[in-house]
Amino acid sequence: MTALRADTFPEQAVRERARTGAAAAFPPLSDYGGALLGEPEASSPGDALDATRLVPPVFMPRRLEKLIDLAREPLHGDVGLETTVGGFAARLPLYLSAFGSTRAVGTDLGRAAAAQAGALGIPMVVGENVVPVDGYTGERSLLARISAYAGHVPDGVGGVVVQQSTEDADAEVWNRVYSDPATRPLLESGRLGFELKVGQGAKPGIGGLTVVDRVQADRLADQFALEPLIDPAGDRVLRCASPGTFTEEILRQQVRLMRNNYPRARVWVKLPPGRDVAAAADVAWQAGADAVTVDGAEGGTGWAPTASLAGVGLPLAECLRRIGSPRGCLLVSGRVWEGLRAVKCLAAGATATGLGRAALLAVDENPGSGLIRLVEAMTLELRLLISALGKYHPAALSTEDLWSPAGWPVPAGRLVAAQG
Amino acid sequence: MDTITTAPADPRAHLTSPATRAVLRVQHRVLDAVREHLGGQGFTEMLPPVIGPVTDPGARGAKQVDVDYYGHRYKLMTSAILYKQASLTAFDRIFCIAPNVRLEPLETSSTSRHLAEFHQIDVEVAGASRDEATTVAENLVVHVVRRIVERCAPELDVLGRDPDAFADLLSGRAFERRSHAAAVADLHDTGHAQNPDAEIDWVGEAVLSAKASRPFFLTDYPKGSRGFYDRENPAAPGHLLNFDLLAPEGYGELCSGSEREHEYAAIVARMRETGENPAKYAWYLKMVREGIPSSAGFGIGLERLVRYLCGLDAVWQASAFPKIPGVVSP
Repeated sequence: MTALRADTFPEQAVRERARTGAAAAFPPLSDYGGALLGEPEASSPGDALDATRLVPPVFMPRRLEKLIDLAREPLHGDVGLETTVGGFAARLPLYLSAFGSTRAVGTDLGRAAAAQAGALGIPMVVGENVVPVDGYTGERSLLARISAYAGHVPDGVGGVVVQQSTEDADAEVWNRVYSDPATRPLLESGRLGFELKVGQGAKPGIGGLTVVDRVQADRLADQFALEPLIDPAGDRVLRCASPGTFTEEILRQQVRLMRNNYPRARVWVKLPPGRDVAAAADVAWQAGADAVTVDGAEGGTGWAPTASLAGVGLPLAECLRRIGSPRGCLLVSGRVWEGLRAVKCLAAGATATGLGRAALLAVDENPGSGLIRLVEAMTLELRLLISALGKYHPAALSTEDLWSPAGWPVPAGRLVAAQG
Repeated sequence: MDTITTAPADPRAHLTSPATRAVLRVQHRVLDAVREHLGGQGFTEMLPPVIGPVTDPGARGAKQVDVDYYGHRYKLMTSAILYKQASLTAFDRIFCIAPNVRLEPLETSSTSRHLAEFHQIDVEVAGASRDEATTVAENLVVHVVRRIVERCAPELDVLGRDPDAFADLLSGRAFERRSHAAAVADLHDTGHAQNPDAEIDWVGEAVLSAKASRPFFLTDYPKGSRGFYDRENPAAPGHLLNFDLLAPEGYGELCSGSEREHEYAAIVARMRETGENPAKYAWYLKMVREGIPSSAGFGIGLERLVRYLCGLDAVWQASAFPKIPGVVSP
């Protein structure tokens, strides 16, 4: 365990899961038979997604279908969680979100998370700026994370998705990965993808930010803007990447160029929680993206101005509402660390949810198996909750499974799709 | 044609083989013929740079080679395109025999037609349209092929290449011009799943090429398939005023060319559409902002042209010191 903190995140609950796994999905066993249980106290102020409840029906035609299929009453263990996440076979509707070059990810955490994501058979995204800041080879490098993942992932599942932002284009990250003999096994087994980073949740409209020392700053001065004002007494400098300029046509053509240049790689597009997130997602899907990932404004692993964290960008729930019925594979992240929020996201249209800060804290708690245990608890919750809704696969979930005091507006397209 | 993926292990054996020597003599005659033809058309031959702060990003999926230039990250040239456009401020009609290095994806090692190091016969004409550029390319190829048939009969004989293979090319009939969209439709008819928004893939190109008996042009590629410098058609947004020239008999692409973007704002927007960071093109954008001529031009792959002329199984056989992507060689 390091000094990693996440003050605005249910850090202790995540750490407990990283230690105890599925046991943490229930109240303490010592309470059994002695405590009268009720709604737990909210560990954080909560957002619209937290305020939303899953609402199982009384009548369950899908459960009847499953009963007929099995010739016995179905249970939570009958929920199948295997799914296709952005073109990759995944054992669970989860993926490891991008961690960038930020210092919160030390050598061991980045590699530990990669190894465990591989063992879990879920896709992993490697964040932007890792190559310009940490290098392509070496201990903290892009290749170290990819190798850790590839060394643990079972055959036939998972995949590695490498982000590229505007400055990464200078470092030619994708070209390098695509032509590297070390990544060839992933490419040839259809388990390599590239994610175009259009923006991120923690600081929509602003590019990647990293605090570096003067020596590192001098090395990066050609590639990045540097902001010295943040540490007047010390020698630390803020390294600012540009967010890149996008229009509909720029996004459309960048996706097409990715498909043209890397025909054997999957193409993902990461969007910030912008007010036009639905239009942008549609452009990406229509241009042929295998997945669109949307990061809610709930935070992230990266350094961000306090003002952005306090009040810039749409919350994840509103992103999901605006996108409505997704035209393609929608992947979302934003304060997901347990099964309840994940199932709500899946019911609201997502195909899978990303683990970002939760995964970092889990591997920080236990670099050997913290993420595996965290996911073990989530997996049990996913099975219990999805079966409680009378459904047996995440793809069967829909907004009918959601209720919130404010209502969960259902776009017309979704209603037609659901009825059709 | 067989697929050959390995270069000869021994450069001496390769260089002294009668076949290689015949091929290299043909290559020499090709260069003679290029200079004879373009020189006669008022072109000035220039020597292109080998390194620079930035190079052509348009090579699909290929990695550029970094060079430490006194502490600055320079690149080996993947193509001469940026310098060709700049050179038109000196002369209206230029050409060069340009060495290019592209660390192509490993999958290209088995295409028989990719080299990590190769040469292009690069041509650029100020004020020209796409159609004028295709005419220059067509006349150049016809001239070169005629000269090889006239002057290299012994070499073609050593290589077992029947000069009748070029009868249709030399018949005086114009090369066919077919749009990318029509080619995609053709491929779909044959059951080949060609992405309509992308470059014609290698299998597709081989299919189209195998059906032809003389070279033909494919025109109007979709925007997402090429670099920022190929001009978008103002009359058909999303399509480029560009072309490829494909050889017949399955040999595939010989040449790519286009009318060029030359206006500053259009180039910056196209750079973003191709995922580029305009900041790294500072010298080029400064020239563009101050004004460069409109133009059209093309680059013919020298080793590919020689392979076609000599009827070789693989393009590496047309190189004295071949570098197949991923294969460690001298």
